[in-house]
Amino acid sequence: MSLAWISKLALAAGLLASPTIGWAQSVNISYLTHWSPETVALLDSAAKDYAKSNPDVTVTVRAVPFGDLLTTLRSQGGSSDGPTIGGIYDLWLPELARDKLVAPAPDAVAGEVKSAWPAGVVSAASVGATLYGIPNEIDVYALNYNKELFKHAGITAAPKTWSELKDAAQKLTRKDAGQQGFGMINSWAAGVVHPFASLLASNGGELVKDGKPVLDSPQAGETFQLYEDLIKSGASDPAMATADANTTGPFLDNFVSGKTGMIIMANWWESALKSGMGDKFSNIATAPIPVGPNGDKPHSISYSWMTVVNANAGEAEQKAAWDFLAWLNSPKSGENGASAMSDILMSMGILPTRTSDIEAHKDKLGSEFLSGYVSVLADAKPFPVVPGGQEFSESLQQTLEALQYGQLSAKDAQANAQADAVSILERAAK
Amino acid sequence: MIKNYRASAGIMLAPAVTLIGVFILLPMLLTIWLSFQDWSTQTPFSNASFIGFDNFREVFGPTSVGRHFKRALLNTAIYTALSVMLILPLSVAFGLMVYQRDVAGGTALRAVLFSTYMVPMIAVTLVWSKLYSPSEGPLNQMLGLAGIGPQPWLSSPRSALISIVVLNVWQQIGYFTVLAVAGLTQIPGSLYEAATLDGANRREQFRFITLPLLRRTLLFSAVIAIINAVQVFEPVALITQGGPVGSTNVLTYHIRRVGIERAQGGLGSAMAVMLMLALIVVVCALFAFANRKDDE
Repeated sequence: MSLAWISKLALAAGLLASPTIGWAQSVNISYLTHWSPETVALLDSAAKDYAKSNPDVTVTVRAVPFGDLLTTLRSQGGSSDGPTIGGIYDLWLPELARDKLVAPAPDAVAGEVKSAWPAGVVSAASVGATLYGIPNEIDVYALNYNKELFKHAGITAAPKTWSELKDAAQKLTRKDAGQQGFGMINSWAAGVVHPFASLLASNGGELVKDGKPVLDSPQAGETFQLYEDLIKSGASDPAMATADANTTGPFLDNFVSGKTGMIIMANWWESALKSGMGDKFSNIATAPIPVGPNGDKPHSISYSWMTVVNANAGEAEQKAAWDFLAWLNSPKSGENGASAMSDILMSMGILPTRTSDIEAHKDKLGSEFLSGYVSVLADAKPFPVVPGGQEFSESLQQTLEALQYGQLSAKDAQANAQADAVSILERAAK
Repeated sequence: MIKNYRASAGIMLAPAVTLIGVFILLPMLLTIWLSFQDWSTQTPFSNASFIGFDNFREVFGPTSVGRHFKRALLNTAIYTALSVMLILPLSVAFGLMVYQRDVAGGTALRAVLFSTYMVPMIAVTLVWSKLYSPSEGPLNQMLGLAGIGPQPWLSSPRSALISIVVLNVWQQIGYFTVLAVAGLTQIPGSLYEAATLDGANRREQFRFITLPLLRRTLLFSAVIAIINAVQVFEPVALITQGGPVGSTNVLTYHIRRVGIERAQGGLGSAMAVMLMLALIVVVCALFAFANRKDDE
């Protein structure tokens, strides 16, 4: 073979190999979230900032409705082509970790998280001693009320006790105007169960204690009874309570349009309320959860979210994903010492969890709406994270909805809820 | 000679039989096998462990698993029955209307009716969720103009499932009307001429000629309508999430929740097997009923 031919073959081989070499060096990772398009745009922008110093890593953001998030993670997370990063609710972690869908955090990331986040939040992102995700948000519940409707009803202060809550709800109810005093939620498990659990916690009760359901307690009985009283008095109308797959729907519409006087809702609704109410958002105020007859003080339940990495993704993708997440959650990535993640969260009214982020966003966290949530953070009780937790939530949702629609009495609802919870948690623990 | 004939028939049938075996029979057999196992959908099949009829005992038991499954089965049955009961008579009525040659615009009406079937169910669902909106929905606004108070539609366990049925009927009716028209074209015009000469009025012609000769078409329509109804998913997943109080929790949505969201593959498979059996029983009963009528 002549030298010319050898040169041509070498050139051809080089040309063929060059794209392969380039492909091998670049890494594509995907980020699955349930955020709205506006928030996804902020995450896209952060990913572009990251790409400036990491040109070989491409981050693609994909959003699905909240109602489809777990299903998408479960159906696609088992494959290496599934989402590399997923934003998950802490209740889902034990089962995702058990099924080896999420990867343990590398030592460096775990060390950073343990030193820079509060211990309670770190434990919610862990199973046993193993950390699986980088925590990002924490959510608590408070009473949201419409100051304008309070004024019209002659109520001067937010209710502090259950009897004041029932009284205010009654005064705020105007059936002829299609107005309800207190809004409950249905058709969305967390939306139904979390306000109930917050009222229960504010009455000195718990959903689960030492891994076993304790819905048969007198405190729980009183909480079921409170629901029945509010429904029977007409102060809460279940037909105004429906939520859809995007956690919006008539329940939100009725509150933003001034047809509901009070709701118990989480801080992350700030962005939905602002976009739904515009200037009228200033009518909304927050107050701690009213305290029940057996409670000592207001207690919200809290839950957190974290970002996890697909355990079935390739080694290079997993490494790039952890590196991106460490950057996204570090004080280097955002404004004024805040992380880019916390800037994104604060745009939705969501409380960040990294200690340095709370400090960096001190001013905004002191706003009239959010300060009501920050104030209940210290006494918040974490929602129980146990195997079978999602099924337990959905089952309790069904029972509470049956109570809302008058299909069950408070006593029967309590008995059903406890019996179902026992069988679900026992089966999941096997 | 016969041997050669059998061999060539076998070779010609093999591709179709293989495809049916791999893509239809195998998944069905796998689902039946999984229904007797304790298995998480996120783990390999090798992790499944045999538990006999435990999954079936659970889905018909008194616990929340059983109660929710039985409710979903009942909801699916009601949804299917209502859908078929509305679709079949309406499709015949619309078919008769658009088939009349002496009615102007019959073809245009046929196109309009069929167009609803071409709209993806997801779009239909989004539009109807707004139509049903309790506060700003056009349906309640129109009722308001007529002096009728706002209806809860999807917000009440009494009306939510029926509201979804109406949405389904609206979307499907065009397709079934086309089937009815196809059936009507098969009826010889001479029968109607003879009946007219014998003094039969329109009602008698419909009862003694049209309906009996449409029976095969209606049987086919009923089977397809049942299968379509049993597979309802989008409106439930997008608008109601199975609520309120599980009143729209149909089996496809429930199986997805159990089998995928909770990863309880064995339980989900047992529910899928029960759904398959129920469907087989209903369709067989329908054919048996039609055959008996034929014999008569």
